[in-house]
Amino acid sequence: MAMLEVENLRLYYATRKGVVKAVDRVSFTLEKGETLAIVGESGCGKSSMAKAIARLLPRNVHTYDGVIRLDGKNIMEMSDEEYRREVRWRQISMVFQGAQNALNPVLKVGFQIAEPLMIHEGVPKEEALARARKALRMVGVHESFADRYPFELSGGMRQRAVIAMALITNPKLVILDEPTSALDVITQANIMNLLKKIKREYQLSFIFITHDIALSSELADRVAVMYAGQIVEFTDADEFYTNPKHPYSEKLMASVPTLRSEKKLEFIPGAPPSLLTPPPGCRFHPRCDKAMPKCREEEPPEVEVKERHYVKCWLYA
Amino acid sequence: MEVKNLRKWFEVRRGFFSKPLWLKAVDGVSFALRPGEAVSLVGESGSGKTTLGKTVLLLHEPTDGQIIFKGEDVTHLKDKKKMMWYRRETALVQQDPFGAMPSFMTIYRILEEPLIVHKVGDKKEREEMIYRALEEVRLTPVEDFAPKYPHMLSGGQLQRVAIARALILGPSLVVADEPVSMLDASVRVEILNLMREMQQRRNITFIYITHDLSTTRYFSEWIYIMYAGHIVERGPTQRVIRNPLHPYTKALLAAIPDPDPENRKRFREVPPGEPPGLINPPPGCRFAPRCSRVMERCRKEEPPEIEVEHNHFVKCWLYV
Repeated sequence: MAMLEVENLRLYYATRKGVVKAVDRVSFTLEKGETLAIVGESGCGKSSMAKAIARLLPRNVHTYDGVIRLDGKNIMEMSDEEYRREVRWRQISMVFQGAQNALNPVLKVGFQIAEPLMIHEGVPKEEALARARKALRMVGVHESFADRYPFELSGGMRQRAVIAMALITNPKLVILDEPTSALDVITQANIMNLLKKIKREYQLSFIFITHDIALSSELADRVAVMYAGQIVEFTDADEFYTNPKHPYSEKLMASVPTLRSEKKLEFIPGAPPSLLTPPPGCRFHPRCDKAMPKCREEEPPEVEVKERHYVKCWLYA
Repeated sequence: MEVKNLRKWFEVRRGFFSKPLWLKAVDGVSFALRPGEAVSLVGESGSGKTTLGKTVLLLHEPTDGQIIFKGEDVTHLKDKKKMMWYRRETALVQQDPFGAMPSFMTIYRILEEPLIVHKVGDKKEREEMIYRALEEVRLTPVEDFAPKYPHMLSGGQLQRVAIARALILGPSLVVADEPVSMLDASVRVEILNLMREMQQRRNITFIYITHDLSTTRYFSEWIYIMYAGHIVERGPTQRVIRNPLHPYTKALLAAIPDPDPENRKRFREVPPGEPPGLINPPPGCRFAPRCSRVMERCRKEEPPEIEVEHNHFVKCWLYV
């Protein structure tokens, strides 16, 4: 039994223009201590996937169903209150895109990091603040910054504070959505080093969402490629970065500029499709140079081409 | 273009009655570019690269130093006619295509604007120029795109419009500030290729500002590395990347991952800390607080620029 099992997860939004199928029957598993990178371009649904797992839903949800098993228990069946009490920020916590700017500017940093303990675990304030200081140390920020306000911290330090906030309740799973965007490259590397250290020391599972393929390789044990609301390839990191099988994955890898190897850069003509009216059949077929007539008509099944290597493509069915 | 010891400082006040402080965004930059040369200006946020790009275009007035363009000293250009000439000769492509275009104008009108302002051609000639511009950036069929509004186009398509607009008057110098950072990974290469092609075909001098070092190799012959208002290293792109001299350049290169599954198994060696603020910087080399090779001298005196190998310059005491 894997730590996290997601089956046919769907999250559709109701908008004035129609139904947006942001997450459209997504399935994957994650073992304890593993990091899954979900990679894809803007509009592929990866941020919605994070929200679906963390149950942080907006008001205009049209469809939200599927199975999410955390250590065997289906958390989709829980009421919102039960989920809030038992899962959110206790078993699953989050670091969001631009989180460093989401810190409350009028509250001291230490208090904000202590908040999850006070709210979700009912820990008394003094003890919570003490643990917050410890959490700051753990993420490489001096304790004294607990008494400062967010504007007194640099971007990198704020991001560390937000990571501390996500870790303080000792969750099983941390979802990070573009945790280093807006940080400069060297600060980014420092944050990735921190995440590597935490991963190693605490055996945490991460879901790391990013559009930056090179960056994803810094943490990923498993990689899932999302396109138009679906996972088109799901496999081990060793396989994915060296030998991707789905035409989209191949082209995506080929479009990543590299510093250290000589390669001819490729691009994918066209643009990712709208989630309102995805193309019929395989959603990638309009941009795929290997498209066959079948691809235009029928959605391909997910095929296990190798052990733990899944591809959603007619080339392999 | 020749830039000599260029400085751009911004005045900053912390309160009504406090003394003004200087934010030294560009603090002594010199370089020369020949026609048709492409240079990547690499730096992180707060390095001053955007300010440098805009100052070169005279969108900011230089605080000190000189800018010489086609033999003319344009540093403090006041003459209106000369300024119009400079505006025709230079152009800017910015990061956010949606922010750079008025949402209430059609693509046709957006491209017509520079022609109208500079009184180029009559209605018929303008139409030809606009359609040709759209073809050049491969937004075809042009009749389909011309009447559309910006929100009807994708980011990549709109950035092509931005490029078309920048080039429509036939400038000799173009500054592109993070032109592909907001675009999807699969689209970036296409736009960069397009810009490179147009740059080479029209022999335009190009300054490509970016924080993404990995793309520079594919785009420019020269690379300038900027840190805290200074160019700390400059030279041929391939040489600087293969043989970085400045400790900051080395750190930058080491910090950038390639997609490699082995990455997760090891830590990256990078300097701690963050780039300094640009307000009243301390004396000496700006990178000293984070430099693993720092010496006493570095904290006291700003290093000079040394040519270590042909056309490869570095601003560091290690090489003096």
